[in-house]
This record gives sequence, structure tokens and C-alpha cells, in this order.
Amino acid sequence: MSVSGGGGPPSLLLVEDDEVIRKTVAMTLERYGYAVSAAGDGLTGLELFRDGRHDLLVLDVMLPALDGIGLCRRVRESSVVPILMMSARGDSLDVVSGLEAGADDYVVKPVDTAVLVARIRSLLRRAAFTPPAPPAERSPEPADARLVFGDLSIDPQGLEVCRAGEPVALAPTELRLLLEFAVNPGIVLDRQTLLRNVWDYGWDGDSRVVDLCVQRLRKKIGTDRIETVRGFGYKLLR
Amino acid sequence: MSLLSPVRRLLNWRSLRWKIAALTAAVACVVTAAVGVLAHRVTYEWSLTTGQQDAFRELDDAAAAYRKNGSMKDLSDLEEVPASMLRPMWEGDTFFWYDDRKPEEPWMWAGRVVDGEPLVVQVSMGPERRSLQALDRHIVMVALAALAVAVPLAALVAELPNRRLRRVARTARRIAEGDLDARIGADGREGDEIAEISAAVDSMAGSLQRWLLSEQRFTADVAHELRTPVMGLMTAAELLPDGEVTDLVRDRVRVLRILVENLLEISRLDAGAERADRVPVPLGEVVEESVRRTGLQATVTVIGAPVAETDPRRLDRIVANLVINAHRHGRPPVEVLVDGTTVVVRDHGPGFPDELLTHGPQRFRTGAAERGRGHGLGLAIALGQAGVIGAELTLANAPEGGAVAVLSLPRSARRG
Repeated sequence: MSVSGGGGPPSLLLVEDDEVIRKTVAMTLERYGYAVSAAGDGLTGLELFRDGRHDLLVLDVMLPALDGIGLCRRVRESSVVPILMMSARGDSLDVVSGLEAGADDYVVKPVDTAVLVARIRSLLRRAAFTPPAPPAERSPEPADARLVFGDLSIDPQGLEVCRAGEPVALAPTELRLLLEFAVNPGIVLDRQTLLRNVWDYGWDGDSRVVDLCVQRLRKKIGTDRIETVRGFGYKLLR
Repeated sequence: MSLLSPVRRLLNWRSLRWKIAALTAAVACVVTAAVGVLAHRVTYEWSLTTGQQDAFRELDDAAAAYRKNGSMKDLSDLEEVPASMLRPMWEGDTFFWYDDRKPEEPWMWAGRVVDGEPLVVQVSMGPERRSLQALDRHIVMVALAALAVAVPLAALVAELPNRRLRRVARTARRIAEGDLDARIGADGREGDEIAEISAAVDSMAGSLQRWLLSEQRFTADVAHELRTPVMGLMTAAELLPDGEVTDLVRDRVRVLRILVENLLEISRLDAGAERADRVPVPLGEVVEESVRRTGLQATVTVIGAPVAETDPRRLDRIVANLVINAHRHGRPPVEVLVDGTTVVVRDHGPGFPDELLTHGPQRFRTGAAERGRGHGLGLAIALGQAGVIGAELTLANAPEGGAVAVLSLPRSARRG
């Protein structure tokens, strides 16, 4: 199930400065069968990330040397690996800047072990994304056909997105969000539906996650492709 | 609606614009009237003087003619002149009489005794009278024309301070609604009272924002400092081998965690920094889900398929706190009813204590002998969150016993 394609357990990189949390979370995740490497500050975290292949990053926001947001941005320069931010402050500034920096999701400390593991699983599932059945079923074209929206073409089978012929690198969440739009072209999708279908959240989900992911997606596929329908949600223009 | 509002604003007769215009009109009327009366008066006097000069000349001519050849031609009838007016003549002087018995055709009479014979002449004052009337008409017309220019001009000029004042009001409203970045941005060049109030509002918004930011930063820092050890404690407790002592530790850690979260929530609510993130929400679904997540027994009845525009996460906090409170301090069965935009949570226990009903929920005061069962923050949080989403939360006791909490969400502003 790991994107690295290796046979072993999914490998996680945990960057957290609080020693107790770092140790206990690492031990907990190991109990759940993940291979965990841990770092106590941002720079060590970045080194570890560059040295090995990781299927998912769990980053604390407040870190010495290089903070979680900076680290997230640095990782995003070269990788689309899923990133889960952990913030103890939980105020909108932390959440928004984390998501803007390219994180796929965030949790506020203290987080229940069960919740943390569920979020990690959900993110890994998105990353190891197998083509969804809906596009093939709903699309009148053959299953292997590319979905084309203006200069954007999406291959729902090969999970490739091209803009004007150039391939676009999308993070797993962005890709899944785009596919959700692509199977419902021209239809307004509200934030709750997107939260449920893409992030596996119920009503307790934070709709800013959706807004910020849409923003990131727009930067990559063109700002006009996804239209905001005020008070309702978003839709993909044909 | 927004298209009509400028029209409505223009038609608001209590607007400063129309008051200034009315004042201008009144001042213009008074000034014109004074100038008009003066001009009328002066012209009238002047026409009398001219009339007397004309009559005097006429009289001289008549006297000369009389002296030369005894001609009494063109003389007027002495009998028509009132006796009192003739007195100067009998005393050897010249008399003048302005005869306005027929107002539309007044005459100026003059007479004097020449060689023992009273000579009396009259000249018509009609042309003077008509030119005076024409002058009056002109004054009125010019005054009306001036008003027609001055009043709209005053209204137009008043529009400038009006606009600045409206901007002040608009900005103040935006600040009240939570947009603390809103500023009037007066550059103070005008140096008038409006610039002063603008600067005052701006500086008020500035200090409010600074205060709120430092409050938010403080709460966030406190949150960080408290949550970090709690999280370590939580995950460490999870790793302990199962057993009776472990259960005790985990339970206390759970209580500590809830207390920390509640305190942080209360302080955020107190700081007034919380803003609702409103979306259209299927009420029944959200309420059912938050009741389910409490893990407590409660029957949920939903009438119809109500949709409210509200913040689902805050609504969840309110409903969960009410259900938890009902279980902790009341007795089952706990019933939750969703009817329209109203959510009712009731239990069948002893009801809310009288003190709570009269003074509202007091923090850390759980009433009577219930100490140790909860921290008495749940209701305060529910009330605070209700305030943030603009809902009304009323607490009461049912006549047949049991506590009743009624949450009335505001009706959707945009659509039903």
C-alpha cells in the first residue's frame, strides 16, 4: 500500500520536538505496524526525509531550527508525499499556514491515538490511490479515455494530469480532489461533500482544509478551472 | 435591495443633506426678503421724490403761464384735495399730496398760491407705480432662481461630509461585525470634526485589534503549553499495559484533557475572538451525529428535513455539551428534538437548580452535592458558542420535571 512501492510496512517520518510525544507517538505507531523514524527538530527532519523514502510525514508546527511550516514547504519543493501537521496551538493562523504550505491535513494536539491512526490511514489510502470506479461508470466514454477540461486532461486510470500537454505534479489529496471534481463536471460540490469524499470527515471536519486545497490545486491547474460558487462550494468548469 | 438603498438614502428626509439644504433655503429666503423690502422701500421713496419734482416743475410752468397770460388751463380741481393736505399752501408754501385713492393709478398733486390764486396741478404716478411692481416681481423671481440654484447646491455640497460620515458609520459597523482590519483611513487633511471622529474610530479599532491579537496569542501560547504535556501523558498512558491502575490513570488523563480543552475554549470565547464559519447544514443529520459521538443514550427526533445556515462544529459542541450535561446532572431518558431551527434537549431528572436559572451557569459551580462530576463548564461553553453562532440558548425546567434546554438557531439569512 505504500507509494514507495517497497514491500515493507509503510514508513512514516515523525518530526516532533517534545521528547515524550515523539517517543510515545513513535512507539504507538510502531504498535500499529508502521516503520517510524523520528526527528526532534526541523533540520534533522529534513535530513532524514532526504536520506530515506517515506510514505507519510507527521510534522509538529512549532519546531526548533526549522519550523514545521518551513519544513513542509521545503519537502513540497521536491515531493508530493502526504503530510499531516500536528499543531498544539490550533488557532487559525497555524492551521491555515500549515495547509498553505502544502500539508494535506492537520490534527490538533492532544490527539487520540485512534484519531491519529485513522488520519494516517486515510492519507495513505489517498496516496496509494487506485482508480475509482465512478469515472468509468459515469463517463459515457470508454474506461481508458482521458477526461478533458479545456487545456487540462486527466487520466483517471494512470492518474496522470496534464496541462497544455505538460504533466502536472499533484499531491495525493490534490489529485483526489481533482478526480472528485472530474467525475462531477459542472456540478457544484459543497465543502461538506468534499470533506466526506476526499478527507473522510464527518460534520466535525474543518472546511478550511477544502478551501486551501482548492487554492493549491488552482495554482497548479489554472485559476479559472475551478469556480467558487459563493455560499455553496466549488465546481469544475467543462 | 442594495440597488434601492441609495434611493432610500436620498429620500431620507431626516438626512443631514436635507437639513443643510433647508437651512440654506431659509437663510436665502430671509436675506432675499430683507434685501427685497429695502429695495422696494428705497425705490418707493425715490419715486415719490421724482413725482414731487415732476409736480413742482408742472406747477412752475402753470404759475409762469398764469403770470404771463392769466391762463388757468390744465389746472386741477382744488376740491378733490383733502383740506388737511392744503394747509402748507395757505401758509404760503407748496403742498404735495400723493393720491393713492385708486391704487393702480396714483397721482402726485402739488399746489401753491400764486398772486392770491391757488394753483393746483397733478401728475400721474402710474409709470412709477408699475415699475415698482415690476421691481417686486423681479426680486421674487431672482429670489426663486437663487433658491433653485442654492438648495441643490447645498444638498450637493452637504453630500461630501455626508459621504464621509456614512463611511465612518460603515466602518464602525464592519468593526462591530468582527472585521478588525477595517479602517476609515482619513488623512486628517480636512482638519474638521469628521476627520477627528474618523481618526478616533480608527484608533479605537487599532487598540481593539492589538488587544484582541495579544489575547489570541496568549491563549494560543497557553494552549500550546498545556496541550503538549497532556498529549505526552495521553499517548504514554495508552502504551501502559492494561490493568486496574492503568484504567485509573487513563481516566484521570481523559478528565484532565477535557478540562484543559474546556478551559481553552472558555478563554477563547471570553476573548471574543471566535468567529462562526457558516454553511448550510442539515440540522437533523448534524445533531444525530453529535449525539452519537457523545456515546451516550439519547433519543433524537427530527421533524421534517430542516436546514440551517450555521457553523456545524460549534453546533456540535453545543449539542454534545447539552447531552452530556443532561446525563451528568439529570436522569434518562434524554430526549433531543429537532424542529425547524430549534433544537430541544430535555432530561427527566431534578431539573436545573434555581440559582442556575436566575444567575445563569457559573463556572466551576456544579451545584449542590454534585462536586467532582464535571467542572460546570459545559453549559457556559454551550452558551458562549450559541452566542458566536447567533443562536439563543434558553434553560428552563419542564412543569412535569426535568431540565429543558432550547437552542433557537437564527433563521437562514440567505435562503430557507
